[in-house]
Amino acid sequence: MSELLHFAEHQLQEGALLFMAVVYTLRLTWLLRFKAGKERQAATGLGDTNPRKGFLYSWANVAMPWAMESTRKKLFIYVQFVIFHVGVVAAIGLSFVIPYGAHLLEIPWVVLALQIIIGAAGLVGIMRIVRRVGDVYMRAISSPDDFFSLFLLTSWFGFAFLAVPNSTANGEWILMTYFFMTAFFLMYVPFSKISHYLYYPFTRYYLGKTMGHRGVFPIRRIS
Amino acid sequence: MSKQTRSYNAQKVIERMGKKLNRQIVGSLTACVHCGMCTDSCHYVLANPGDPTYAPAYKADQIRKIFKRHYDWTGRVLPWWVKAKSVHSDEDLETLKDTVFGKCTNCRRCTVNCPMGVDYATFNRMARGLLVSVGIMPEGVAVVSKDQWEIGNQMGVLKEDYLETLDWMSEELQDELKDETAVIPVDKEDADVVYSINPREAKYDPRTISDAAKIFHIAGENWTMPSEGWDMTNFGLFSGDDELGGAVARKLFDKVTELRGKKLVISECGHGYRSTRCEGQNWAGMDVDFVMESSVNTMLRYVKEGRIKVDKSRNTIPVTFHDSCNNARSCGLTEEPRELLNLVCENFTEMYPNRAENYCCTGGGGAMSMSEYTPRRLKSGKVKAEQLAATGAKIVVTSCHNCVDGLQDVIRHYKLDMKVTQLVNLVADALVIPEPVEVVAPTPAEVVAAVTAEVEKAVPVEADAGPDAGGSLAGYTILVTDDEPDFVVFASAILEDNGAKVLQAHSGEEAMEIARRETPDLMTLDLGMPGTSGSEVFEAMRNDPDLKSLPIFIITGQPELRKLIYERDVRKPEGYLDKPINEQGLLTNIRKVLNVSRT
Repeated sequence: MSELLHFAEHQLQEGALLFMAVVYTLRLTWLLRFKAGKERQAATGLGDTNPRKGFLYSWANVAMPWAMESTRKKLFIYVQFVIFHVGVVAAIGLSFVIPYGAHLLEIPWVVLALQIIIGAAGLVGIMRIVRRVGDVYMRAISSPDDFFSLFLLTSWFGFAFLAVPNSTANGEWILMTYFFMTAFFLMYVPFSKISHYLYYPFTRYYLGKTMGHRGVFPIRRIS
Repeated sequence: MSKQTRSYNAQKVIERMGKKLNRQIVGSLTACVHCGMCTDSCHYVLANPGDPTYAPAYKADQIRKIFKRHYDWTGRVLPWWVKAKSVHSDEDLETLKDTVFGKCTNCRRCTVNCPMGVDYATFNRMARGLLVSVGIMPEGVAVVSKDQWEIGNQMGVLKEDYLETLDWMSEELQDELKDETAVIPVDKEDADVVYSINPREAKYDPRTISDAAKIFHIAGENWTMPSEGWDMTNFGLFSGDDELGGAVARKLFDKVTELRGKKLVISECGHGYRSTRCEGQNWAGMDVDFVMESSVNTMLRYVKEGRIKVDKSRNTIPVTFHDSCNNARSCGLTEEPRELLNLVCENFTEMYPNRAENYCCTGGGGAMSMSEYTPRRLKSGKVKAEQLAATGAKIVVTSCHNCVDGLQDVIRHYKLDMKVTQLVNLVADALVIPEPVEVVAPTPAEVVAAVTAEVEKAVPVEADAGPDAGGSLAGYTILVTDDEPDFVVFASAILEDNGAKVLQAHSGEEAMEIARRETPDLMTLDLGMPGTSGSEVFEAMRNDPDLKSLPIFIITGQPELRKLIYERDVRKPEGYLDKPINEQGLLTNIRKVLNVSRT
C-alpha cells in the first residue's frame, strides 16, 4: 500500500469525518437556536393517541410505506428509496471495513452481498438521474445541488462497487478514487441536500408531536 | 441587487420573515430533498397535468428560496447552487402572492404525504402573513380581514342584524314547536353551553341556527348565544395574520369567560373549529378555563345519552361525507361525524379517499373570498367532482361552511346531481319532538331592545333601505348575477321568499345568455366578476337591441368601480346598491325599480 492510499484510508477519512461532525454541530446549534412552537390547547381527537404516539408514528413512517398515500401509490419509488439508502450505508460502511476490518472482505459472500447492494444502489442512482432530468415536475424543483448530489452519489457507488474486493492487483487508483470521493462526500454533505437525514428526526418529531396532540397521527384509513 | 434598491415592502417581508421563523418552520424549510413524492397529493396538480408550478415542492420553493437567500448559509454563500433568491420589488411579491394565495388552499394534504415531514401548509400560511403585513393580498382577503377587525366578524354582520336574526329564528322555532319557551337565549350567564357560529349562518343560512336551537332546546340544554364575540371563524387562519387570529380568538374567549360559560360549542365549520379549538389559544397566547368542542360532538353526545331521540328513517336519501381539511388533517375530527351520520341517516356511503386523506373541497384557505382565482379553483375541483360522483350519493354532508360553498360550486360546475347539507340539518330533520321543555332566559328581542340605542349610534342606515312592509314580487322574473355563490344563494332566497321567480348566473356571459333566452323583468349585476367584467356586460347589454330594455340593478362590493358604469355612454342602471346588502334594502330597491307598491 502506498503512503498516499494509507493517507486516504486513514488521516483523510478521519479529517473529513471530524470536519463533518463540526459542521453538523454548528448546523444543529443553528437549528436549535430557533424557538420551538408550543401547543396551548387541550388535545383533540378520539383520545386514543397523544404527542408521544404521534412522533413515534412519524419517525416510523420511513419504514411504513402503507402509511402514506404517496408511498402506497409509488411503491416502486419507495423500493428505490430503500435500495438507495441501504446502498449509502453499505458504501459508507465500506470506508471503515477496508482500513479496520479488511479480513471481512476475504469472505466471498460478504464481497458479493456488498457488491449487490452497492451495485443496485448505483442502478437506482441512474434511474433517479433519469427521473430528475426527464420528469417535468422533477426538473422544475431541482437545483444544481440536487443534480450534483445525485451524480456524486451515483458515481461514488460505482467506485465503491469496484472497491469492495479491496484489491490493488490492477493498481491503487480504484481504492484511491473511492477514498478521495468518500472524503469529499463527507465534507460536502453538510452543505448539500444530502444532509436531510440530519433534519429528518426534527421535522418528523415536531410534525408527529403536533399531529399526535391533535388526534391526526396515526392516520386512520378505511379503504 | 443592493439593499438600497429593494422596495420597502420587499425589505419588510425579508426582515419580518426572520421574526416568524420557529424551529418547526426552519426544519420544514431546510429538510426538503425535492423527491417529488408530494406532487400527486395536490388537487391542483391533478387537475393541471404537466404544469409544475402547482407542485407543492415547487410552490414551497418560492418561499424557501427567500429563506435560503437570507437565513440559510448555503444560500447566502452560493445562492445559485441551491436556487436561493431574494425578492426585490413589489412585482416579485405579487408573483409570490399568486402562488401562496392562488395555487394552494393550505389543505395540508401534501404535508401528510411528505416522507420528510415538511409542513408546507404551515409555512405557506407564514408567507401569506408576511405579504398581508405589507398590504399585498387578494382583494377579498383585505375586505374580509377588514370586516373582522372592524366589525368583529368576517362577513360584516352588524350586531343589530345578528340579534334580529336570532329573534327571527326564535319566532320560527316557537311556531314550529308551538312552544313559547323555545327561544334562543342571548348572553345568559352561567350557561353550560355557549354556542358560537359562523357569520355565514346569520347572513345566508339561518336555518342552521334554528336547527341547532331546536336540538339544544329539545335536549333541555342550559345554553346561550353571545351578543358579542359570537363569530368562531377566524380569517387570521387564512390570511396568515397571527395578530388578527389572536384578536378574534381572544374576543370569543373573553366573552365566554365574561358569561361564565362552562363549555364553548363551535358550530359545524372546519376552519372555525380549527381556529378556535386548535389555534386560537396559540395565537392569542392565552389559556382558557372552559372546555371547547365541536357541535358534532355535542349532538352525538345528546343522542348517545338519550337527551334527544332521532329517527333515521326520516333521512333515507343516500348520503356521503366530505371531511373538511381543517377538521381531519389539523384537528383529528373524523370519526364522530360518521358515527352521528350513521345514527341519523339510513344510507351512508363512504367517499374515497377519506378522513385525513380526503381531497380539499377547493374552497379552503379562504379561496372562496378570492374571486380572481375562481376559474383556477373550479378547474381544480375536477378531482373532488370525480370523488363525489363515484359515491353515487345524492347528498354530500360536511361539517364545514366553507366546504358547503366549495362543494356547491363544484357540484354546479361539474353538473352533478347532488345537494350539500350539514349534520345539524340532518339531526334536526331526524329529531323526534317530545313535549316542550321550559327554558328561562332573556330573548333576543329583549336584548335587541337593550342594545338598540347603542347600535343605532354605530350603524349607518342606507337611504333606500326603508322598512319592508310587503309588496309581493309574484309574477316577476329576476336574474341574479354574481360570481360569489353565497351572494347568489342569499339574494335568491330573499327574492323567492317574496314571490319572485329567480334565475341565477355566475358570470357575465352566462347572464347575457339567460337574459336573451328567459327575458327576465330585472337583472342584478355584480361588477367585480372574473372574465368579462360587470361593466362590460352592462354596456354590451345596453347596446344589444334584444336586451337594452332590461332593467339592470348593480350590486357590488367594489364601489370604486361605479364610475366605470357611469362613464359609459349608455343609459344608466336602474338601481345601485353597495355590498353588503340586507334584506330590507334589497327588497325596497327592487320593488322601486319594478314599481311594485307595498301592500
